[in-house]
Amino acid sequence: MIKLTSLLTAATLVAAPAFAQDDAWETQGLTDDAITIGVMGPFSGNASSYSKALIGMMAYYEKVNAEGGVHGRKLVAVQEDTACDSAKGLAAAKKLISQDEVFMLQGNSCSGVALALRPTIEEAGLPWIVAHAVSDSISTPLAENIFHGVPTGSANGHAMAAFVLSKPDTKNVAIIEHSNDWAHSYSNPARDYLKENGVDPSLELTMERGQTDATAQVLKLRQEKPDFIIAALYEAETAIFLRDLKKYGMGDIPVMGTAGTDLENTLKRTGDFETVKNYYVIHSYVDNLDGEKMTPWADMIHEYYPDEELSTFSFVSIGSAEALVSALEAVGPDLTRSKLMAALEEVRNFDTGILSDPITWTPEDHQGVKGSAVAGFVDGEPTVLKAWGQTY
Amino acid sequence: MPSSRQRSLRTWLFWAVPVLLLLTPLATNAYTQFIINGMLISILVTLGFTLVIGNLGQLAFANTAFFGIGAYASAILSAKMGLPWIMTIPLAGALGALGGFLASSAALRGIRSYYLAIITLAFGELMRWAYLHTKPLTGGTDGLPLPRETMFGISLSDDTLKFYIFLAVTVVLVKATLNLLRSRFGRAVMAVRENEVATASLAIPTARVILTTFIWSGFVVGCAGALFARHVGHVFPESFGMLHLIASFAMVLVGGLGSVLGAVLGAVILTALPEYLRAFPGMEELFFGLIVAAVLVAMPMGLASLLRRLSPIFVERYYREES
Repeated sequence: MIKLTSLLTAATLVAAPAFAQDDAWETQGLTDDAITIGVMGPFSGNASSYSKALIGMMAYYEKVNAEGGVHGRKLVAVQEDTACDSAKGLAAAKKLISQDEVFMLQGNSCSGVALALRPTIEEAGLPWIVAHAVSDSISTPLAENIFHGVPTGSANGHAMAAFVLSKPDTKNVAIIEHSNDWAHSYSNPARDYLKENGVDPSLELTMERGQTDATAQVLKLRQEKPDFIIAALYEAETAIFLRDLKKYGMGDIPVMGTAGTDLENTLKRTGDFETVKNYYVIHSYVDNLDGEKMTPWADMIHEYYPDEELSTFSFVSIGSAEALVSALEAVGPDLTRSKLMAALEEVRNFDTGILSDPITWTPEDHQGVKGSAVAGFVDGEPTVLKAWGQTY
Repeated sequence: MPSSRQRSLRTWLFWAVPVLLLLTPLATNAYTQFIINGMLISILVTLGFTLVIGNLGQLAFANTAFFGIGAYASAILSAKMGLPWIMTIPLAGALGALGGFLASSAALRGIRSYYLAIITLAFGELMRWAYLHTKPLTGGTDGLPLPRETMFGISLSDDTLKFYIFLAVTVVLVKATLNLLRSRFGRAVMAVRENEVATASLAIPTARVILTTFIWSGFVVGCAGALFARHVGHVFPESFGMLHLIASFAMVLVGGLGSVLGAVLGAVILTALPEYLRAFPGMEELFFGLIVAAVLVAMPMGLASLLRRLSPIFVERYYREES
């Protein structure tokens, strides 16, 4: 008996530090008055313009802090530069996790970097909300600590095809795209969605980057006479394609573009409203950037970052920051990493007031945003649409 | 002529550094260990680069191609063929050596100077194009992740385990390169750099010397590529572009052209520098440029020359020393 008691005591003594370590891990990066959040992004290098995507999120933290924080705790962002490079991104993640010992991570532009980070962060186990990068593989297959807070590539591709098919009597759809993975990330899910709905693309064309003439493609399209064209092209090539489409008398065929193009920028490029009057683009927000519903968010960003020049990117991370704060509030003052992840998995149809589609995270699916709105010109005005002819 | 005491001190120092380094995991966290692992990779890349550009004197910029070949070879052999990663290191080196053989063909045809630079740069860009456009094999722009693997029951995502493997590979390759440079062949390499025609007149097969140096450089950098693949766990074409080439070239220049010690110094300093400047995004490029300019102006033979001035122990002698 004495031997058994001694063994149990010894086992308890050995196990106690391990349990204590688990407890310490659960509350790492947490104090009575602060929650430290590692924010990774390309703050330098060729892709540094993407760092604008994290501004909205950090402005939202500031707003929450100004209102007293979450259960008395301020959200403290610890920024680290990835320079959109996988090795630098990994160094940033390891610094935040093992040296700065942040409570959680939020952010990340550049899908390649986020993909490289996934194994490290998955192993570390702390919550990570992806707030800009779109690759589906970041959050699929499911990892219990990784949450996607923006529409993924497949969500955008599906949204494009769904909008196309929402136009009555659309049967004949053509696709024109660049021959790179960026274009395929939109066109492949769009193609799958069309096929699931009984529509096989009637014509598939390629237009390479840097091409300054689309006559050959447009003449093929003229023979096919499609009801709708899906264009997975960068903005410069989109402008050329739309110009040539009008030139050959096909300006009335609607064209669905990606989130990589902006409606008004495309108009500026072509300089002719007739070329873009039937052009539609993926638009993740509830309103135009200068619209009424976006004004409070723009004001919020300017309150904390007065010099920020707003672009589409500036708002993209706000929705996931709102969802985070909502989950933190739901957990209550007794916060741990596990409790936060459990609360994030309880987020259902969360209306951010800025993203066109709600955020839903479940234990089976951490890709939170399943769709996107579309922007197009209606009566000459840029308008956000839910479906063909349906405004937001 | 160095005394036997200096020689033994130099040997002692060569082995003391890696032995001391064995203890570093006791004082590091995952982040600092990751940076040290990156330094070991950079040492091999810089070593391979300086062999061709510094010791052989050929203005060839194919080392980023060798690096990419090694990294992709390792990733493909691991992910697509199921080979244990550790076994892919020599195979990646062999494919890097094959890249070296291909890159040397331009030099063997008598192409020199800026023309060789352009051709080898084009070789690097051609390889990057190949990584992008052979998606079934390389994953295209999505890159290629390495499978999760364990060794001795420890996950290969563990930076400490990786450190010991990287250190072993680095020490073996640095020692082998030093031995090569101190051999008759090494002296022929430097003779080609000084005067290729005069070297040929001494019945030294210069073509074979050039070819072998490119192949060895490709092997060393190819092995570094395999280490890099495991270091980041996911290889992307962007990792093997001009930025990497410029960074490696800067490491060679800051350390000292044609110096093994310089390759080590340049790699360690310029890998650590960006990490010290993390708190100041955008300053890295500025400091990088300033350091390269300052070293080239003040010490044209690099930081290794400074050490050589401090102590004769650091003088690299590529001739047989009398015992």
